[in-house]
Amino acid sequence: MTTHFVRQTLIDARSAPVAALPIATRWRRAMFPTPPMGALSLLLLAVFAVLGWRFLEWAVVHAHWLGDSSEACPGDAGACWAFVAARWKPWLVGNYPSDQLWRPWTCFAAFALFWIWVVRRSHAASLQRVLLGFILLPVGFFLVLIGGGPLPVVAATRWGGLLLTLVVTLTTFATALPLGLCLALGRRSRLAVARWLCGAFVEGMRAVPLLAVLFIAATLVPLFLPRGLSVDLFPRAVVAFALFNAAMAAEVFRGGLQAVGRGQIEAGTTVGLSDFATLRLIVLPQAVTAVVPALVNIMIAVIKETTLLSVIGVNDLLGAVEIGAKSPDWIGESNILTSGYVFLAVAYLMVCYGLSRYSRRLETQR
Amino acid sequence: MKTEHQPTPDTSAPVARMQGINKWYGSFHALRDVDLQVASGERVVICGPSGSGKSTLVRTVNLLEPFQQGRLQVCGVDVGADEITRAARRAVNRRVGMVFQQFNLFPHMTVLQNLIVGPVWGSGIARKEVEELALRYLQRVGLTDQAHKHPAQLSGGQQQRVAIARALCTRPQLILFDEPTASLDPEMVNEVLQTMEGLAAEGMTMMVVTHEMGFARRVADRVIFMDQGQIIETAPPDDFFDRPQSARLRSFLSRVLTH
Repeated sequence: MTTHFVRQTLIDARSAPVAALPIATRWRRAMFPTPPMGALSLLLLAVFAVLGWRFLEWAVVHAHWLGDSSEACPGDAGACWAFVAARWKPWLVGNYPSDQLWRPWTCFAAFALFWIWVVRRSHAASLQRVLLGFILLPVGFFLVLIGGGPLPVVAATRWGGLLLTLVVTLTTFATALPLGLCLALGRRSRLAVARWLCGAFVEGMRAVPLLAVLFIAATLVPLFLPRGLSVDLFPRAVVAFALFNAAMAAEVFRGGLQAVGRGQIEAGTTVGLSDFATLRLIVLPQAVTAVVPALVNIMIAVIKETTLLSVIGVNDLLGAVEIGAKSPDWIGESNILTSGYVFLAVAYLMVCYGLSRYSRRLETQR
Repeated sequence: MKTEHQPTPDTSAPVARMQGINKWYGSFHALRDVDLQVASGERVVICGPSGSGKSTLVRTVNLLEPFQQGRLQVCGVDVGADEITRAARRAVNRRVGMVFQQFNLFPHMTVLQNLIVGPVWGSGIARKEVEELALRYLQRVGLTDQAHKHPAQLSGGQQQRVAIARALCTRPQLILFDEPTASLDPEMVNEVLQTMEGLAAEGMTMMVVTHEMGFARRVADRVIFMDQGQIIETAPPDDFFDRPQSARLRSFLSRVLTH
C-alpha cells in the first residue's frame, strides 16, 4: 500500500462508449420491462388500435369523397369529405368576392413567406424583427383586404374562414402586445393612479370569461355609443379580443420584467443611464426575450379563441362550417356537420401544433 | 486621473464627504452618524463583519441607497437627506463608477457594448470616441481579444475585469468597489486584485469594500473598520493591522487573519 501517488503522463480524452444493445432488446425494455407493465402496454395498444380502427373506418373506409350536395353522403357510417372539398372557398376566405381573390391569396402567401423566414431562423430573423413583423403584417393585410383607392372596397363582413382567423389573430397580437407591455409597465409605475388603473384593468379582464367580454362588445357597447355612430361587429369583436389578450400579455410581461434582476437596473444607473434609457436598453430587451415562448403560447390561445367569434355571428372558420352545413345543398345528414367539425379540428391542430413546436424550440434554445 | 503613484494623497479637496449620515431599513438602523471624507487620489478600504453596513455605506455614496438624515457631497454634487432626486442621482452617477460583487454585466450585450452603452446613451458622447476609449480600457484589463464576446462566455475573473473597464469608461472621479472578489473562484481573485492595484497606482480615487486583507495592506491609504452601522476605527494600514486600538477591531482581526 502506498499513500503517495504522482501521475507521470496525463490521460488523453477518449470518446464515450457507444451503446451496443441491439434494437430489439432496447425496444423490449421500453415496452415490456416487467410482466405487469408489459400487460399494461398491450392493453393500451389494444385500446388505441380499436379506437384508431373505428375512426379510420369512419374517416377513410366508409367515407364519401366526391359530390356537390348532401346526396353524395347518404347514411352516417362514413365521413363526408365531399362537403369539405366542395366548400373550400368559405373555409379559406369566407364570402370574399371571387374576382378579388388574389388579395387574400397575397396575404396568405406573405404570411407563409414570413413564417418560413422565422422558422428557418435565418440570421436576420432576430426576435425583435420577428415581433416587428407580427406588428406590421396585420396592418398591411388590413389595407390590402379592405381596399380603397384603386382597389375596390371589400367590407369586413365578407371576410371569413381561415382568412378571418389569420387577420384577427395577427391584429390581436399587434395591438395586445404593445398594450400589454404598457399595462405591465403601468403596474410598476411610480404614479399611484397609473398603478391602480392598470392593475384593476388587468385583474378585471383576467377574471371575466372571454365569451362574456365578446357579448358585451357585441350587444352592450352599441348602447353607449352616440346615436348615428355605429361600429361594425367585426372591429368591435377585434377590440374586445385585443383588450382581453392585452391583460394576458400584461401578466406575461410582468413576469419577464420581474425576472430582470435589480442588479441590472443598478448597473444601468451607475454607468450614467437615465431611468428611461435603463428600461429601454437594459431591462426590456432581457424581459421580452425571456417571455417570447410564453407570448407564442398566448398566440396559440388567440388562434383557438377565434372560434368564439362565430358565437356572436362573425363568420370565422367555425361559423363557416356551421353555415355550410345549413346551406340548402348540404342540409340533412348529421354526418356532414361532424365531418366539418373534424376538418376544423385538424386545421387548428396543424396550425397550433406547429406553433407549439416552434415555442418549444425557442425554449430549448436558451 | 493622475499618472504617477502618490504615497501621500492631496487631502485639500475631498471627492466625497459624508456628514452625519443616518439610514434605516424599516426600523433597522443601518448607518449611524457616519462622518467620512475621501480625498482626491485616496484609496480607502472598508472592512467589517457581514451586516455591519459597509456595502450600504458605499451604495449611499452614489445614491443607490437613499438616507434619512445627514448630508452628502460627492464630486461637486451636494445633497441633503430630503433632496435626493433623480437628477441628483444621475449627476452623481455620471461622476462615480461602481463595481459590484455580482459583476452585473448586461448579458444581452457584447463586452464592447457593455462598455459603451453608458457614455453613449447616458452622457451623449460620440460612439466612435467612446469605442476608442473602451478598447483602450479593455487593453488595460487585458481583454482586448474578448471585446465581441458575451459576458456568459467569460470566466468570473474576466467578467469582473470587464466590469472594471466599464466603470472606467464613464471616466469617473471616484470608483466604488462592493466586495469585487467575494463571488470569484479563488484562482481568479488575483487577476482582479492586480487590476485594481494598477488603478490605485495610477492615482484613481477608490473606496473598496473587501475582505482581502493583503490587498488592504498593500494598497490602502486608510482602512476603515465598521460594525453595527458605525465607523469604529480608521487608521493607515500598518497601524490598523499591527496596532489596532479598539477591542472590536482586535477581535475581528483575530478571526479574519488566522487563515
